[in-house]
Amino acid sequence: MTTTQAQATPDVRRPVAAAGTRHTLGRVLATLARSIAIFVPVFLVATFVTFALRSLSGLSPARIQLGEDATPEAIARVEAQWGLDRPFLVQYGDWFNGVLHGQLGTSWTNGADISTLIGLGLGVSLSVATFALLIGVVVGFALGTVAALRRTTWIDRAITGFVTAISVMPAFVVGIVLVAVLAVQLKLFPSAGYIPAEQGLGPWLAHITLPAVALSFDVVADVARQLRSSLVAAYRENYVTGAVVRGLGPRRVFFCHVLRNGLGPALATLGLKFPSLVGASVVTEWIFGLQGFGRFANDSAQAGDVPAVQGVLVVSIVLVVVFNLFVNLVLARVTPASQRGV
Amino acid sequence: MIRRVLALPSGRIAVVVLAVIAVLAVFGPLLAPQDPLATSDNTLAAASGAHWLGTDYLGRDVLSRLLDGSRVSVLGSLEVALTALVVGVVPGILSVYLGRAFEWITLRLADTLVALPFLLFAVAVVALLGNGITQAMLVTGVLVSPLFYRVSRAATLAVARSQYVEAAIVSGASLGRVVRRHVWVKVLPPIAVALAQTVGVGFVIVSSLTFLGIGVQPPAPTWGGLLASDLGYLSHRPWAPLTPALLIVVTVWACNLLADAIRDVSGEAGRALLNNRRARANRLDKADPAPAGGAS
Amino acid sequence: MSTLSEKLQAPAEHTAKPVRPSQPVLSVREVRISDQAAGREIVHGVSFDLTPGRTVGIVGESGSGKTLTCRAALGILPAHFEVTGGSIELDGHDITGFSTAEWTSLRGSTISAVFQDPASYLNPSIRVGAQVAEVIRVKKKVRRREARRQTIELLRAVHLRDPELVYGQYTYELSGGMLQRVLIAAAIAAGPRVLIADEATTALDVTVQAEILDLLADLREQTGLALVVVSHDLAVVAQLCDEVLVLRQGEVVEQGPTHEVLHHPRHAYTRLLIAEHEQYGLDRFLAPEEDA
Repeated sequence: MTTTQAQATPDVRRPVAAAGTRHTLGRVLATLARSIAIFVPVFLVATFVTFALRSLSGLSPARIQLGEDATPEAIARVEAQWGLDRPFLVQYGDWFNGVLHGQLGTSWTNGADISTLIGLGLGVSLSVATFALLIGVVVGFALGTVAALRRTTWIDRAITGFVTAISVMPAFVVGIVLVAVLAVQLKLFPSAGYIPAEQGLGPWLAHITLPAVALSFDVVADVARQLRSSLVAAYRENYVTGAVVRGLGPRRVFFCHVLRNGLGPALATLGLKFPSLVGASVVTEWIFGLQGFGRFANDSAQAGDVPAVQGVLVVSIVLVVVFNLFVNLVLARVTPASQRGV
Repeated sequence: MIRRVLALPSGRIAVVVLAVIAVLAVFGPLLAPQDPLATSDNTLAAASGAHWLGTDYLGRDVLSRLLDGSRVSVLGSLEVALTALVVGVVPGILSVYLGRAFEWITLRLADTLVALPFLLFAVAVVALLGNGITQAMLVTGVLVSPLFYRVSRAATLAVARSQYVEAAIVSGASLGRVVRRHVWVKVLPPIAVALAQTVGVGFVIVSSLTFLGIGVQPPAPTWGGLLASDLGYLSHRPWAPLTPALLIVVTVWACNLLADAIRDVSGEAGRALLNNRRARANRLDKADPAPAGGAS
Repeated sequence: MSTLSEKLQAPAEHTAKPVRPSQPVLSVREVRISDQAAGREIVHGVSFDLTPGRTVGIVGESGSGKTLTCRAALGILPAHFEVTGGSIELDGHDITGFSTAEWTSLRGSTISAVFQDPASYLNPSIRVGAQVAEVIRVKKKVRRREARRQTIELLRAVHLRDPELVYGQYTYELSGGMLQRVLIAAAIAAGPRVLIADEATTALDVTVQAEILDLLADLREQTGLALVVVSHDLAVVAQLCDEVLVLRQGEVVEQGPTHEVLHHPRHAYTRLLIAEHEQYGLDRFLAPEEDA
């Protein structure tokens, strides 16, 4: 009996492993397809709204270039140069085609290529946003986990209180306080500016730490809160009772069963949080004097430079969509059941 | 429900704080001791008897500007919340009843609005469409409306598919009566929670926009604007941002506290809370062998 | 069948405790359970002894306290519920004052359980085979590969067709009957001496129910497993049990050998249960409410 088993085992393993891989690949593809099916309409609608902004705003490059008292003929000439005299849908089609090829057009104010301008600022913003996400995830996970494990004790209440406190602090308020205390008063950090990572990791970190901390408060609070409640909910599930009854220790039950299922909602929160992170960068970059993506958005918007604003919005939408795609893939890996029949 | 919210200490605190803020918004401009726009030579003064919170870089009385600016901030956040409520709840409830095409379209629209970084979008829209905090707030309201859409849709779905509503319809109750008696009761608490939250979110957005100087004409005071002007003179008056920052934080906190209180007194969480209290009261001996099964 | 007995005796050898038939592995004495939230007693004194290879049945309607009694023996009473009287001895140890570590070492290897609605008792995010293998790996301290081999044998032993395929599937891909078999496999993976089957066949259709009961009987014969079978259905109890307790509103109204209780019921409530069964015999088709 034992000999036959020993022979049988290798034969048995292979088909299972193969089926497993096929399964996994299929799942990844299915998740990708579903996510894309959701995001393509999102992208279309969002870009359309973005593009419609110009018509709605009634702004024109002629005003910016020629000033307020230009003749109607001059305005018409400039608008024709920019192709603004064509039907709306033709303009949209052209612009959308450009977007698909990475061409976001040229700025009304200085004629520079918008893709290049945004590319310059993106490095700064992504450094800060990534660092903020990192802080948010690490601190949020730690707080949420500890609160869930010590639920209904004073530790839980203290963490919940702290999380509530930081969740109501808007990024720009935190930013100002950080600048006032840590940069201006204690001189621990530079109060403004940015140094690329290539010029030294230390200065780079020093410059992005304060803005990242300011942005991270919201993420920390949301991740901690969501993780706590989904972990507490997961602890109430029958499969936890099942694992306990099978004699698995508390640590194993937590890491292998509770955390895995509790992670899903927290990850989804992260996906939802990303847009507000991008949005808040407008304010934090203003406070910390960073020439990033958000600052560029603010400056272009205030200058009435419509193509630049459209470009910023498109890039932000792409960022959000890509990030959410990534989150969905991770989610599909962590909690396969949740992906079913959504 | 209001009585039950007030029964919770957190609910009482939230209501009191919000009431104070509301009083500031209504009577603030009248309470202002000095003209909030009047400049003087006494710039960047520290707090004193004449200027309780000091003066800003143009010598204007900070307290007066704070009181005068409260109206814009509070009205703005209410506008955001009410716009979001109307824009979100109506299609949210209708999406359950108006067929699959309407459902699909509204769901995609909600997806889209959620994916937009709303502060960025608000900045862009307001700057391009121009001027006025009201337009800004209407746009922001639309951008945050998916929260209401989802909440009202989920609650309506749960009710529409629940067996007791089916039973009520089968037993001959009119649709209107079913909606009044069963749907409202279930849909209202989550919407109230979302509303309280959105007022807080609106507050942050108004402050952020005014901080950036968007949607307001320069001399007019706002809480965000005060912070922005303080930022430039941190080395002279390091504590200046404290008061407007605290006001913003406390208001947002009170909104969230109210949202939590509403959530606590309605639905399952409320019952768990009560049970916990009763159990604690009943358990005379402190020996408590690992309360929940999962904890052991 | 030789595979089954071979596999299932191996764990028993591993735990290597002398099995004295006279010594009860589970002994419940006058156990009282109270709901501290409501401040009232739910179970008013339940007693029984269980020796290896024997089966005790607990019957009663929803809310009669049968599930609570089992959960007390497993140390997994819901929040606010506490044992307020009597004692429970597991393999000679009084469970009051057990530490978490002591419970962890006893569960799975001395006492284990399967429940109604098996899908919910398995983690939806982990392949079912991996969950059985996890128990083997942790409780028997074997390597990953060996655990996998033993798991597939175990899945075969609980009569799952194509165990290799089942190993790699998730709960939502399996039927109720298959899930209950997986749950049984996970429960007996570490060779427990007592298995509690709490309404384990309730949600299954009749043929599957009969197969699962047969499987439990097989396991009992071949490994000397002691069973506690909880059901609202007299037929299930009659098929498996040596001794029956009839519970009503937390009170044991009748207790004795199955044959005795079924044929000479002394309490009116037992007679009512039997009469209803004879009259309708349909209750197994109705999915009853889960009891608290």
